[in-house]
Amino acid sequence: MPYHRGICNFCGTGCGHLLQVENNRVRGVYPLPGHPLSRGRLCVRGWHIHELLQTEERITRPLIREGDRYRAVSYDEAIDFAARRLKNFSGHEVAFLGSPRASNEENYLFGKFARAVMKSNNLSLSSDAGLEESARILLEGCGWPAMTASLSELRQADFIMVVGGDLTKQNPIIASEIHFASRSGAFLVTISPRRTQMARLSQKHLRPNPGTTWLLLEALARALQTEGLVNGNHLGERVENASQYFEYLESLDLKQASELTGVDEKEIVGLARKFYESESAYAFYPVGIQSLDRRSMSALFNLFLMTGKLVRPAGGLCPVTGISNLLGSLDMGVSPAFLPGYLPTDRGDSWKRFEELWQVRLDRWPGKSVGACLQEDQSLRALLVVDHDEEIIRQASRIKELDFVVYFGAYRNAFAGLASVIFPRLNYVEGDGTYTNSERRVQLSQKKVEPPSEIRPLWEILSELAGALGHPWAYKSAEEVMAEISRTVPQYSGLSYDKLRASLGIKWPVDEQNPGGTEFPLAGEPGRRFKFIFGRTREQLKGLSSGFEDRFPFKLVVGRSNYFWHQNSVMKRTFIPKREYNALLLLYPKGFVEISADDARALGLREKQPVRIVSEAAEISLAVRISPDILPGMLYIPYFIEEMVSGFLHRQVSELEKNEEFFLPVRLEKLE
Amino acid sequence: MYWLPGDQVKLLARRLAESYSVYGPRRDEISGEVVFDRLEVPERLDLQAAIPYNPPKHVLFPHYEEILRYLYERDSQKVAIEKIDKVEPKALVGLRACDLNGILCLDRFFLWQEFVDEVYLEHRQKLFLISNTCVRPFPQCFCVCTDSGPAAREGFDLDLTFAGQGYLVQVGSRKGQKLVEELGLQPAGPEAASLREKIVDESVSSFDSFALENKAWVSRATNRLTTGFIKPEVWEYIGNQCFECGACSFVCPTCSCFNVEEVNRVDGQTDRVRTWDSCSFEGYTKMAGDHNPRKPVEDRRNKRFFCKLSYSQSKKYLRPGCVGCGRCARVCPGDIGLPNVVTYIRREITGE
Ligand code: SF4
Ligand code: SF4
Ligand code: SF4
Ligand code: SF4
Repeated sequence: MPYHRGICNFCGTGCGHLLQVENNRVRGVYPLPGHPLSRGRLCVRGWHIHELLQTEERITRPLIREGDRYRAVSYDEAIDFAARRLKNFSGHEVAFLGSPRASNEENYLFGKFARAVMKSNNLSLSSDAGLEESARILLEGCGWPAMTASLSELRQADFIMVVGGDLTKQNPIIASEIHFASRSGAFLVTISPRRTQMARLSQKHLRPNPGTTWLLLEALARALQTEGLVNGNHLGERVENASQYFEYLESLDLKQASELTGVDEKEIVGLARKFYESESAYAFYPVGIQSLDRRSMSALFNLFLMTGKLVRPAGGLCPVTGISNLLGSLDMGVSPAFLPGYLPTDRGDSWKRFEELWQVRLDRWPGKSVGACLQEDQSLRALLVVDHDEEIIRQASRIKELDFVVYFGAYRNAFAGLASVIFPRLNYVEGDGTYTNSERRVQLSQKKVEPPSEIRPLWEILSELAGALGHPWAYKSAEEVMAEISRTVPQYSGLSYDKLRASLGIKWPVDEQNPGGTEFPLAGEPGRRFKFIFGRTREQLKGLSSGFEDRFPFKLVVGRSNYFWHQNSVMKRTFIPKREYNALLLLYPKGFVEISADDARALGLREKQPVRIVSEAAEISLAVRISPDILPGMLYIPYFIEEMVSGFLHRQVSELEKNEEFFLPVRLEKLE
Repeated sequence: MYWLPGDQVKLLARRLAESYSVYGPRRDEISGEVVFDRLEVPERLDLQAAIPYNPPKHVLFPHYEEILRYLYERDSQKVAIEKIDKVEPKALVGLRACDLNGILCLDRFFLWQEFVDEVYLEHRQKLFLISNTCVRPFPQCFCVCTDSGPAAREGFDLDLTFAGQGYLVQVGSRKGQKLVEELGLQPAGPEAASLREKIVDESVSSFDSFALENKAWVSRATNRLTTGFIKPEVWEYIGNQCFECGACSFVCPTCSCFNVEEVNRVDGQTDRVRTWDSCSFEGYTKMAGDHNPRKPVEDRRNKRFFCKLSYSQSKKYLRPGCVGCGRCARVCPGDIGLPNVVTYIRREITGE
């Protein structure tokens, strides 16, 4: 059973692996030694990707819905049917949901299909909110949309700050790199209300009260100022609004910030000093599934800018993507905010460029995300979706009302049942494609097995659909799509399959100046301009209390990563990860709520005691789990039960999905 | 002992390929690292390559293997069970001594206990094993501490030791003798045995200068583990660093935990599948109480090292469960491979 080199397709770490293939089936997996990031390691998910790739729950033929059933049809029939229906809709009436698991080539063509063929700018990913926010902040602040650092040098770092989430669960191998860096001397600090494993591995853990992470980060900046550690001139003229930002900071009272965040003032000052003194500082924050909010991301950016740590050829800001190709999907412009290559859609020249490149007229109206369309836009009539792998479909009732839903998917799942027509999709070992990990590393995943019963690649289906709608596309392979991407996406201009085949990934930008990719894009660019990102006034401090403290004394935080990965819809097709991700669910079949030992004692609660959690709008019954990881005054519920998503959280779901700073004021009542 | 000229190794591989699927160490073209793999082209066999990143375990205990298939006939209410018979004869060429000992450990688990594992037995009976002495250890090695290398003592059909222009060939079985004769190898002369001994001695004494990654003070740790006097804080320290990935078990040549699943196929049949598993997983042990959520992680860590190092295990299987290959140290996201754990235990003993 020979092993073939490849990359793990689960999360945005993009670890290298070896897949064991026999009789056209993937039978085993092993870490790829010598991969520059994963260096021969995989996490529990990666060690079992072959179990997912064995599943027979595939969609293998095009299907057209007839009443409550699906009829298997030929490609010709499905394409003809879809094209005839799609002709009836104007661009405004259609929305496109791309997939962060799909390749760059697939996402690029999907976006081109939306904009150039259907003239629709309603194009987004399902879990992109955090990454897009991060890209906007970075673009505004330094004109660069993604990770400013590179992980290859991480082990030489002397300061690492992890803000929010739990990287040991979300991106375990990046967390492992951080752990190794800390073992070789870097000072590691975690900032998160919950005591995560990342926090356990850190020398220092600061635990801001839920909802105050941004304030703690601003307090760190303020402490730099009060300690006289601000070197406002290091970037001189290159920073647009330094004096305004410093003025803004001055209005922050450290003592008040310390009280509100619950973090000791001395700790804040000590950490600020440590950060200031470091040579090579990295900050990690999750984007995607469980993301920092805008204020925290901005505050973090400002910290790095004011200390001059953004432009060093070591260290920087590291947004970490939760899904394999989340970054690449945004690179390819699957977003209402950006055309491919982060050209902003609110600028005419972006559109002009793509009109020239694509030789087609584009409609320049501002698009919306699919979530926003479904929620707000009654004129929406059709939806096209690539591999939606969440188990619990939000807005299912709205989707059912639509006239036409097209689904391109590899596996049978809840979403497929909502489609009017279904096209089968290759899984990632059945075709060629590139995937871009958190650190901008573009990696080629080559075909390793023949797909079942002639499933066709997405580029081929989209080309045929485009052709049927009057736009003849001539792509003959994924490689040709990449050739076009290298002409249209400046960051990818120096990439080709030939180059990628001979490498273990190349970090964009790859262009004439950087043919081998780029490690620290902001270093050595004397012309780059910077800007602090902050709101004008400081009235936000008032908003920190909910005003309902008497009736709802607890802050409920909802965790999206621990014990749980993407609603387990991918994990459930494996054996061991499914078992591991469900281990706690077996002990607490109806879910649980974590509470600190102090609060449990005060309320006289014991393990597994049933309780009711009541919020302004809803209530839910769960079992108690006393946890050393929870702050007093805080409750924690992992987000894995249908009732949580569709019932209890109700309208707050989308807010929760946007950021992990979200909390809900609740009270806890004993049930017996 | 016989003599195999260096340029005839390919011949040996080609000869084996006539009756076996040939497995051995090869180098990956892009990453340059060594993988123990099926060699589609026997010429890719690389006997000079370093210890492979993966042990040969997958050859006889695959990562994922259907062990039987059944079909339930609704009408007759009968179950038709089908044995999955696809085990092919395989030759493992260039096994390092640690890995050969790893196979012997697996034998003890699968074959020498109350029940004989039929599936494993079938793989095992069709193997041809050729070991390869390490004339110099690799950075991660500590087999001298676990008494499992750098040269093989038993369990091989043929054993190779590189000596300048070629290999000294030791015969370990009748199958091996037959192959040597078929290949027409010449006897290596009366000095051969002492030459091999000298090469092995030199290798052993070079551990201090070459095997620098892992210094495992295994015997002291074994003692400590067995008597159980290791402070809970040490296990807590170790447990906190475990990412629960399972890698230490998967890459260990001697780990034999497995999981059995029933997989319903679209054609109505059900496969019974055996896959690798690990005692580091929560679900593997399915703890009952769940009072202190971290405690079980420590216990599971503790369990694995107990299994690898304690006397009771050593006695049961006549050797330590660890063969000193150092792989668990390289794949561990938490940097708590066995050698590091031994170091932590040692530090506790010596108070360093
Ligand atoms: S860290 Fe992510 S990419 Fe790496 S093995 Fe785990 S799931 Fe796969
Ligand atoms: S551990 Fe010993 S037997 Fe194994 S490769 Fe190293 S030196 Fe050789
Ligand atoms: S415990 Fe580690 S060093 Fe020992 S045999 Fe297993 S993998 Fe090798
Ligand atoms: S390899 Fe390391 S992190 Fe993974 S289960 Fe083993 S000890 Fe834990």
